[in-house]
Amino acid sequence: MSRLVTGTRLRLSELVRQPLTLSLLLVLPPVVIEMYGVAVESFPQLPTLSADPATVGRMTGALFAVAFLAGLVGLFQVISARNGDERAAIAGFPRWVMLLTRLVTMFVVALVGAGVAFAVFNYRVAVAAPGLAFGVLVLAALVYGLLGVIVGTLLPRELEGSIVLVFLADMDNALSSGLFPIEASASLPVVGDVGVTDFVPLFHPHELFTAAVLDGDLAVEHLVPTVFWVLALLVVAFVAYDRVTGEQGTGFLTGVAS
Amino acid sequence: MPNIEDESENGDTSSSPVLRASGLEKTYRSKIPFVGRSVAVLTGADIELRPGEIVGIVGANGSGKSTLMKLLVGALQPDAGSVSRDATVGWCPQETLLYDRLTVRETFDLFGEAYGMTDQRVERRRGELADQLDFERFLDYRIDHLSGGNRQKVNLAIALLHDPDVLLLDEPYTGFDWETYLAFWTLTESLVEGGTAIAIISHLISERERFDRILELKDGRLHEQAEPPQQARSAAHDGEALESEAPESEAVASEPPTGGEA
Repeated sequence: MSRLVTGTRLRLSELVRQPLTLSLLLVLPPVVIEMYGVAVESFPQLPTLSADPATVGRMTGALFAVAFLAGLVGLFQVISARNGDERAAIAGFPRWVMLLTRLVTMFVVALVGAGVAFAVFNYRVAVAAPGLAFGVLVLAALVYGLLGVIVGTLLPRELEGSIVLVFLADMDNALSSGLFPIEASASLPVVGDVGVTDFVPLFHPHELFTAAVLDGDLAVEHLVPTVFWVLALLVVAFVAYDRVTGEQGTGFLTGVAS
Repeated sequence: MPNIEDESENGDTSSSPVLRASGLEKTYRSKIPFVGRSVAVLTGADIELRPGEIVGIVGANGSGKSTLMKLLVGALQPDAGSVSRDATVGWCPQETLLYDRLTVRETFDLFGEAYGMTDQRVERRRGELADQLDFERFLDYRIDHLSGGNRQKVNLAIALLHDPDVLLLDEPYTGFDWETYLAFWTLTESLVEGGTAIAIISHLISERERFDRILELKDGRLHEQAEPPQQARSAAHDGEALESEAPESEAVASEPPTGGEA
């Protein structure tokens, strides 16, 4: 427990010493939300849209902002301190505790990012269930924070990892928004009569967010898959981290090798 | 977990090895099939370290010295062979594997937790090492704001933090100024007198007298060189008449007055 507390405290200290990251957390959400709103405002009122285009755009922008930022933080959490982690693990810091400290840090970033994004969004759009909407933004941030950890573990390069994340988040968000629905067809037999958009990570958070913002409802049928996404990605993150850093042992220097 | 305090204080001077590696083999293979080539770095390296001895490990660039060190500490797994460690180990890697945005003080806290030390013991050891290696005034500097030499001092101090029985040092005095270099050897001598076994890797060992044994890593194996004269080593321990043999240009380098650079 002491290691978890110390590790998390120091991770957060590292994080707040990155002014650029903090600036992005504060500046990007308002910019993205407004840009999405303005860009989609001119769209026609398509039948697949759940609200007027500007609102749909702002909802899409809010989800993209929290997801992408959390993803980047997850990515850099794993990559930037890889060497230090290797030494700390050999010195006796259990690797799962180190990963946990990074996940806790990522969760804090998810909370802050979601808070900023929600504040901006709530200023521009009348939200039916504010608490619920904020919670959904946190969940969306967690999904992408964990994806960032996984990408950073498997592809430990800042540039390449960021490119993967930005493409993933952008495509996912566009598909989930309802702006570009892709329905099942004969060429996609695997998904039966379900649209392929249902399988992208942000689809269910999008539906949850829409229900919370427009109707003030908790869409349970989308909550369960969203929580499943979070838990599944958590397991994958632990397995990937363990496999990738598996060659080094833990605690060799203090004689408690494992 | 072993009782680190007890192990460090019992002054074990028996001749049984505290670290033993035998038949170590390591080959780096290309991760992409049919592309690249495999490099057999170690092909059966053996080494034993006993309490109170200083062993130098030399070898040409790319001969596998750092790989050997990583195998000894457990940072890498050998393809074949085994490593047994009957003691606590301190590892000072060639690259300073530290967290750039933590301060020196926080770095000690983190590694103190890793070693399983109490806060009081971390604080005491941090004070001792900062005094011995002269980085007290940089304790609240971030690692990435330190000069190369000061960063290396912290790198070394982290290896010494838990007062290990065996010290494995990979190019430990890179970037040291002359005073720090001498302080390093003074510290080393006191550790050896207390029974610590030390292995120092260097691509260039100019002061052979300081070592009990020198092993050369060649063709993937360790070969013992002629034993250095004990008398000369004793003289070297006094830190006298060695200026002409100072390591590279580090002997005359000096730290910036502030010790820190952005």
